[in-house]
Amino acid sequence: MALVITNLTKQYNKHKTGLADYSITINKGILGLLGPNGAGKSTLMKIIATISKPTHGTVFLDGEDIVANPDRIRKVLGYLPQDFGVYPNLNAYEFLTYIAALKGLGGNDLRKRIDMLLEGVNLTADAKRPIGTYSGGMKQRIGIAQALLNDPKILIFDEPTVGLDPEERVRFRQLVSDLADDCIIILSSHIVSDIETIADEVAIMQNGRLLAKAIQPDIIKNVEGRVFETLIDSSHLADFKTKNLVIDTNRQKDKTRVRYITTTPLAGSTALTATLEDAYLFLTHSNA
Amino acid sequence: MKYIYSIIKADYLQRTRSYAFLITMAITIYAAYSFVPPPSAHYTTLNIVGFKGVYNSAWVGHLSAMMTTVMLSLYGFFLVTGGIKKDVDTEVGLIIATTPISNFGYLLSKMLSNFLVLLTIAGTTFVVSLAMFFLRSSGYPFVISNFIIPFLLLALPALLFISAIAVVGEVFLGKRAILQYIGFVFLFGAIMGHTQGESNDTIAVITDPFGLRTMTMSIQNQVNNEFHTHIDGVSMGFTFHKKENAFRTFTWNGITWTPVFMLSRFLWIILSFSLVYISSFFFHRFDFKQIAHKKKKATRYADTTPLVPPAITAISMSALPPILKNYSIIPLIKTEIMLLVRKGSKWFWLVNAGLCASMLFTPLSISHIYLLPVLWFLQVTRLSELATKEKTNRLHYFTWSSYKPLQRMLPAQILAGVILMVTLALPLIIRYLLVLNGFAVVNILLGAVFIVLLAVCMGIVSGGKKLYEIVFFLITYLVTQKLPLVDYLGAIAHNSQVLYTVLILNIALCCISFWARNYQARHL
Repeated sequence: MALVITNLTKQYNKHKTGLADYSITINKGILGLLGPNGAGKSTLMKIIATISKPTHGTVFLDGEDIVANPDRIRKVLGYLPQDFGVYPNLNAYEFLTYIAALKGLGGNDLRKRIDMLLEGVNLTADAKRPIGTYSGGMKQRIGIAQALLNDPKILIFDEPTVGLDPEERVRFRQLVSDLADDCIIILSSHIVSDIETIADEVAIMQNGRLLAKAIQPDIIKNVEGRVFETLIDSSHLADFKTKNLVIDTNRQKDKTRVRYITTTPLAGSTALTATLEDAYLFLTHSNA
Repeated sequence: MKYIYSIIKADYLQRTRSYAFLITMAITIYAAYSFVPPPSAHYTTLNIVGFKGVYNSAWVGHLSAMMTTVMLSLYGFFLVTGGIKKDVDTEVGLIIATTPISNFGYLLSKMLSNFLVLLTIAGTTFVVSLAMFFLRSSGYPFVISNFIIPFLLLALPALLFISAIAVVGEVFLGKRAILQYIGFVFLFGAIMGHTQGESNDTIAVITDPFGLRTMTMSIQNQVNNEFHTHIDGVSMGFTFHKKENAFRTFTWNGITWTPVFMLSRFLWIILSFSLVYISSFFFHRFDFKQIAHKKKKATRYADTTPLVPPAITAISMSALPPILKNYSIIPLIKTEIMLLVRKGSKWFWLVNAGLCASMLFTPLSISHIYLLPVLWFLQVTRLSELATKEKTNRLHYFTWSSYKPLQRMLPAQILAGVILMVTLALPLIIRYLLVLNGFAVVNILLGAVFIVLLAVCMGIVSGGKKLYEIVFFLITYLVTQKLPLVDYLGAIAHNSQVLYTVLILNIALCCISFWARNYQARHL
């Protein structure tokens, strides 16, 4: 199974471009999408989810054009949008039954499947309560359950860990890893560590364009041998930032420990092991 | 003052930058055009039995101001109400609640932004009224004061009062929109009833919020004196006449603005501000935990909620039961009906049941002309969100990316709406069937389809509920006034013309709805 995206452009208006001539091939496994706000991640996911039409370009799923025939992908799609909502008057069970009907699911086992999914996201005890009374994390979990209802072959998760507590985030990452054997999973997040721990491949986007797409070690190679740490006077930090790409700072009384990327490190700096976050910030800043 | 100005500005821009407002403006321009009918027209907007005023500046200016006051007060309330609810829904209210703005300051800003919205529309009708004078008048001199002063003294205080009432209604009735609508309809009816009274003493003038009694009495007195007749009164609104009706004309030169009248207009302005000031003491300031019944609800749910929030456990997709495909829309219809039924307060179904039962016993014509349109209108908040609720609840990502949403989801919504409306009309339908009046039954069925399709179409095209709520209210009001033009349910004239017209409209609405939703669902 492969999703082949070619020369995809989404022009919202004269001044706003969502995607610009974007091409990518996505295979089975987890693709992590990274990019600053406005990079076009959500636009890309909306187009794949068939709720937005590209201005130009094609999206093929196993050789079938899903822009022209959106129902082809809808049958196998699980989608968790960034800012989705619910009908507050329905309870979890009614809501999932409704989503199942939307997805064209039925049969005697549907109820059992919903029960098991509710159990999987730990909402069984609250399944009879109106969803309007749920916390943000519980709503996010019901969102995850609905995405898995139809045994999806393509899963799109747009900022899925928003609202989840640290324990839930770890478990969610485990769940996604388990699903990846049989699916295409596209996962966008602002939290690089979420992507870092589970993504087979990473795509970095900016201004509607693809900056890089590769397995994590290849992305990290961009900054290998360029990441350093040093201790500077806090009063020099602003000046230091203008000359170097600062990744992280940690204040220590009058001094500040700085993690930065450069080809000409300050004397006394310590070389560090590069991470995906270093590579992401390096690529997005050098292409800004 | 800085906060108030900012809220007024933001609120005004937010309301006016919508398709619903643009469509309302277009309807208003047409309405303003129709306020001054051509001499050959078969209707009048100021009904003086057997008489008509000549189209001089005073007549056109006062008539336009008066009709603007009545019509804009009537549907303007529906247009401006909901400003506080919007802040609740968008949670902007929570931010506002943390600012130093006082309750009165906030409510005042809401009232003034309501007023500005209505003023924008009134300004448009004013411009159209000037154009109408030159279009309809036959050589009478143009006197600008005959246009400006009636607008300032009649329309503006009335619209300010309506703006205040909208705020007060929201403060006291909160999210119960339908109760606000019913309350306003009764208030409006009472005001109009008072306007058409016989007396013109000081008390009567002062207690007239719209200030119209002075004008209608002036016209009535002139006609009675000039033609030595005794007309009972002057009524406002669109009144249709038979072709052969001939009118005698008279020249009316306006009214003298007495100190009592000026004082009454000033008092209504003061009262508008006072109402908002008093209601500020009862304003929730977006703290809903104060509401007792919600507290009870929270306690009940707390019993079932574990102390430690549960997290995601393992889900083994291979262990889940296999799925079967089922593309039937029946489960969707069921859920849509469930959502329709659960919308609003449960006790309100008692009102619906009462009206349904009444339709079994009242004369057929009364049931058809008054009870059924009113019963259907009481479902306005249900119908108005039939095709907008996915977007309002941000569920459209799921519905529009589902399998064949256009062929399954939209028909399910329409059918659910029609099933509800037909169910409510069943007592009347059964009675018509018992007297073998199949034609009336078909008219009612087509009317049910029409009012549902109108909700769906307007919801999709305007992207909100407001436009439909205003239009549905106006249609219902005009049907109960027996205006044949809007008789969508065949209440007044049971003939094939109504039936075919509604049928064609239904087909048109259906086509527009499907086309617009098809575009919308792929252009998020």
